Amino acid sequence: MTQQSNRTGPSREWLLRMADVEDSCPSVSVGGMACDLDLLAPPHSNGQRIFGRLVEFARRQLGMSVEQLANEADIELSEIVEIEMHDETVPRVRTVFQLAKALKIPEGRLMEVAGLATPRPEISHAALKFAARSESTAKLTFNEREALEEFVKVLVEVSDGGMRD
Amino acid sequence: MSSFDISIQARASGDFHEATILEGLAPMDLLVVEREWSPERSNLMQELLAAGVDRRKWPQSLHWDWSKKAPALRLLESSGFGLVCEKKWQGVMMTRTASYSARLKADRGKPIVYLDFLEVAPWNWVIQDIHRSGLFRTIGLQLFWRAVQQSLDEGFKGRVGLHSLPRAEDFYRKCGMVEVGHDAAKQDLVYFELTQEGAEKFLADGGYK
Repeated sequence: MTQQSNRTGPSREWLLRMADVEDSCPSVSVGGMACDLDLLAPPHSNGQRIFGRLVEFARRQLGMSVEQLANEADIELSEIVEIEMHDETVPRVRTVFQLAKALKIPEGRLMEVAGLATPRPEISHAALKFAARSESTAKLTFNEREALEEFVKVLVEVSDGGMRD
Repeated sequence: MSSFDISIQARASGDFHEATILEGLAPMDLLVVEREWSPERSNLMQELLAAGVDRRKWPQSLHWDWSKKAPALRLLESSGFGLVCEKKWQGVMMTRTASYSARLKADRGKPIVYLDFLEVAPWNWVIQDIHRSGLFRTIGLQLFWRAVQQSLDEGFKGRVGLHSLPRAEDFYRKCGMVEVGHDAAKQDLVYFELTQEGAEKFLADGGYK
């Protein structure tokens, strides 16, 4: 740092008045540089990826095609394809409820997995465990089936426990 | 270069502590600041997770990790300011004086100080959901005040431009900045500008109406 000359800052009176203004706002952060460096987007959430994987596995477990699930759940075929194929897709609330019904998964829990409700710790833990063990393939392997069953079991158990809905 | 002797207020006691706004930080210095701030960011993240706070309510800069962007930072022409108190960086600001010009119709094309980055140390953040009240206040306010001073020093008559993060928009409105609009080139962040008149009002009485 080069040599600096010292000057005086704002008056105490100004400061106290403006401190209350600052406190009335949740943030003062500026984002130009962060935007240029692509820091603005939140870190990729695993939520949507896990939700898509769960929908796909549960559908295959029930032996349904994407088309059959679309008919059963009364939602657009393209919407299910989007959910299963694209990690970034945020599903609509109605879609999640319809899928929960068709896939026989508790609605509230599926909302948590979809990122539309704050997940409780046991759901987050089970979801991460499921994500870690599952790979997308045409047919469920033994391990995938086991992972899916374990995840759905947690979703059902937590729901039955009546902890929160 | 100028440093400013200022004071910042401790939230708990209300006492004022001597502090300094230094000029001359290089963009790479942000990495040093980040090393100091990142453990606190991690603590906050853990607390927010444990408390089950909705991610939409988390501080918008919580995940910023400048260390991954070091090569890009080397290319930037920005110079910067750091607010130091009790031997710690309490806040940091980067500005540019050449790359941007005024966009408001009345001042279009005139030089401005563009505020590229302004961030307050995470231990000063107020996060009610996890009962964090922040150690010091007026950090961001006085850094913004310093940007206006820089504009005056440069002969830009107090004109300042910036892209605000969504949750900070209200603060810059209350500082008297004019909302120019969403900027598609900056991921739709709202661009604000402080005019000469706005700067005079801000420095005189805060600009808040």
